[in-house]
Amino acid sequence: MIGVLRSLGVTWSTMFRKPVTIQYPTEHRKVPERDRAFPILLWDFDVDESFCTGCHACERACPVECMTVTMKDNPKHAEGVSKRRKILDEFYIDYGRCMRCNICVEVCNFDAIAMNNTWVGHELSTVDRQDLVMDRDQLLALSKTRQIRAWVPE
Amino acid sequence: MTLLWGIFGIDMNVWLDAFLRLQIVVIVMTVTVMGLIYLERKFVGRIQMRLGPMRTGPFGTLQSIADALKLLTKEDVRPATADFWLFELAPYVTFVPVFMTLLALPFMEGWFVRDLQLGLFYIVAISGVTVIGYLMAGWASDNKYALLGAVRSAAQLISYEIPLILGVLAVSMVAGSLNLNDITRQQDTIPNLLLQPLPFMILLIAILAELSRRPFDIPIGESELVGGPWVEYSGIRWSIIFALTEYAGLWGFSILGALVFLGGWQFPFGTSSFWGDFDFLYQLVLVFTKSFFIILTMMWISATFPRLRIDQLMAFCWKVLLPFGFLQVLVNGIVLTYADDETVRDVLLFLTSGALLVVMTYAIYLATRQPSREERVGSMIAARSAQ
Repeated sequence: MIGVLRSLGVTWSTMFRKPVTIQYPTEHRKVPERDRAFPILLWDFDVDESFCTGCHACERACPVECMTVTMKDNPKHAEGVSKRRKILDEFYIDYGRCMRCNICVEVCNFDAIAMNNTWVGHELSTVDRQDLVMDRDQLLALSKTRQIRAWVPE
Repeated sequence: MTLLWGIFGIDMNVWLDAFLRLQIVVIVMTVTVMGLIYLERKFVGRIQMRLGPMRTGPFGTLQSIADALKLLTKEDVRPATADFWLFELAPYVTFVPVFMTLLALPFMEGWFVRDLQLGLFYIVAISGVTVIGYLMAGWASDNKYALLGAVRSAAQLISYEIPLILGVLAVSMVAGSLNLNDITRQQDTIPNLLLQPLPFMILLIAILAELSRRPFDIPIGESELVGGPWVEYSGIRWSIIFALTEYAGLWGFSILGALVFLGGWQFPFGTSSFWGDFDFLYQLVLVFTKSFFIILTMMWISATFPRLRIDQLMAFCWKVLLPFGFLQVLVNGIVLTYADDETVRDVLLFLTSGALLVVMTYAIYLATRQPSREERVGSMIAARSAQ
């Protein structure tokens, strides 16, 4: 009987507490600092090109072989603007295959690839698997908006 | 209101008058049912620290309309092995009694579909018919869960009908009438809740059980019986059963409780036309506020307690509510016979009923008390050493 009254009291008090539910698609909970979504490429704003030189280190290290990288001569090196002799030509990551193991980030010699730590990296549902294969521009897009937060190596 | 009614000469034609009053009740009932569904979802949501419906309309206010539309346009599935007529008619048999209880309720002073001298008796009698619909649905569905649910609900509804009757009977003894108008009109200074707290509690619990609401939802218990008698129903038939019957019943019974126990439109200030032409609005608001207070209390109870076991349910009815209901009736009879002065009578009624309520609470406390750990360990040791 005392338990009955006490339980009524519990529900009474929870009624006036702030609801823990948030309106998800319109409202997002903060992503943890070291949250790891899918890998993206970073943009070097000093010389306006990608950090990536297309060295294939990540492609070779990738355990699920979801990456395709090609390399070309850097035209900006010829102009003397950039120190990078080679630059990436094409870069594909199949997000449908990637298992988010972080190895590509570990092996990168130029700190050119990083794990996406924003909500954008989580809301990727598509109707076609083809749409999960990201090309170079898609991979660089987020970095170009400077939305990657500070823990990413600079 | 009566003025409005008189303008068109409606009160001259008995049939037209009854028909129009029925229409008003139907419309108000439908709107209230939709509102109640929204209210319950929001209220229970807040209790569970959720938001409840938020997407349809501002704060999800259009959720009930969306649900109604969806249910009305949904396919009405009937199992191939179902008994056609029983299956198709069962929702109506459950709904009609609930609707008929609304006909005798005076929502305002002098506004009802029909003023019945035996209104209270009529309501109690007619609401007992619902169980036939439950049994029909359970039997006709040709589904073991439905049948189990139907049998359980038959047992539960018939059992809890009796405490409900006793609680209502005790009040009608005090009021000296079975006419709801008379009972309400007498409560201008003291509501019956003060004179008869125990029957109010009994009524509240019995209503919860009658409506198969949560602590007493063994007939429809989702986790065991999927949906009880309504497993096989879908679309409009399901919405008639669930939405209309359940929530109209909730509303009707809570109006009944507000009229009989909380003083209806009469209690705090009487019906002296202080509000002039808007007196009827004031009365309506008062009755609805009181009934919503009861509804929210019931939703609060529903959201708090887990489902009872069937033996606990039966024991609670037959061993607690029923004896104390009879005791209350007996005590009321003695008090009403021997107390001549009205003040003495009221005080005595309050004291006896309050004392009985305390005794009932204590009895439940004794029956449900968990022995302390020391006591349990002690009895185990004693049992072992006796071997």
